[in-house]
Amino acid sequence: MHISEGILSAPVLVTGAALTATAVGYSLKKMEHKEVPKVAILSSVFFVASLIHVPVGPSSVHLILNGIIGVLLGWSAFPAILVALALQGVLFQFGGITTLGVNTFNMALPAIICFYLFNRGVRSKNNFIALILAFVCGFLAVLLSGIMVAAALVFTRESFIQVAKLVLIAHLPVMILEGVLTVFCIGFLRKVRPEILNV
Amino acid sequence: MKNKLYLILIFIFLIIIMINISVFAHKVSIFAYIEGDKIYTESYFSDGKKCVDSKIEVFDNQGNKLLEGLTNEEGAFSFETPPGDGYLKIVLTASMGHRAEYSISADELRGAAGFIKEEPEEPVSVISPETSLVNLKEIQSIIEDTLDEKLKPIMREIKKSQEDKISPTEIIGGIGYIIGIFGIVAYFLSRKR
Repeated sequence: MHISEGILSAPVLVTGAALTATAVGYSLKKMEHKEVPKVAILSSVFFVASLIHVPVGPSSVHLILNGIIGVLLGWSAFPAILVALALQGVLFQFGGITTLGVNTFNMALPAIICFYLFNRGVRSKNNFIALILAFVCGFLAVLLSGIMVAAALVFTRESFIQVAKLVLIAHLPVMILEGVLTVFCIGFLRKVRPEILNV
Repeated sequence: MKNKLYLILIFIFLIIIMINISVFAHKVSIFAYIEGDKIYTESYFSDGKKCVDSKIEVFDNQGNKLLEGLTNEEGAFSFETPPGDGYLKIVLTASMGHRAEYSISADELRGAAGFIKEEPEEPVSVISPETSLVNLKEIQSIIEDTLDEKLKPIMREIKKSQEDKISPTEIIGGIGYIIGIFGIVAYFLSRKR
């Protein structure tokens, strides 16, 4: 999902950077003091998750975990993902510095969408409903990111439908895997650390 | 107490997993080398998977596109060394927004094209001059072939060292950075109060 340097045109890069800067500014303003350690830990999770590789098809994909990060962090997902992506760019040459804004936006916006959609659901009293929604949340976050990557690439030479199809097919196993992982995480947190979810 | 123990165990478990994972995803690399009058390129994702059917473009130092092509099933693509002695930039564009570059310097290109003309004539003239010129060419091509052969493992080593660049040190270092950055954020947030 990391778009490399030199692929996107300047307007796309600038738009992505501007949107990300606004969102990060807003979320830093909103961030509670006691929330910070949680954001740091989930940022580390995101940083490491991209190194876990899922072998599929002709391309190469990895875990993203933006669904669970979104549900647990809400708007703070933006700074968490920005920091993790910046370090991945610098240390591992994943993505790039100029594409940082676009990449952050592509992964953090679905996280926020999931936060608004499933925030209540995964905290529901009913265990079964909560876990089903956790699966949908993990699945949907990757799906949305895939669509956004395709949308960002549409302004380059490749056609939207073609890229979208490729990205989505390649990420189908990741979507399922992330759905399952989100179920495990939410299930675990509900049992062991319900205060994180404020159930 | 029990909960804390749980978290510590999970953390240790994660670190063990990370150290054992030797393949990492999500970056494409391209590697090129000159052999005779052809340039060979190999393209792969950072977990070692080959980039099949990916576009390769070759540019000269003014940014003009010289040629383009697709990689085969092995992720390889080769082309005749183009004329001119500027440096070459080889650009790989793989699916889903992946891109990588590799440059071949002018020196490397010249070296591979053969330097017979620049060879000083003196040592040659010691032996009979007419046959030695032919021999020189032959010797040169033999040396080149042998060198190519001998250098192959080294090339492969270089390629491999490019491949698995990510070490546990960097991962743990990265996590340290993240915690540090959010420590700074926490400091500023606490000052606001």
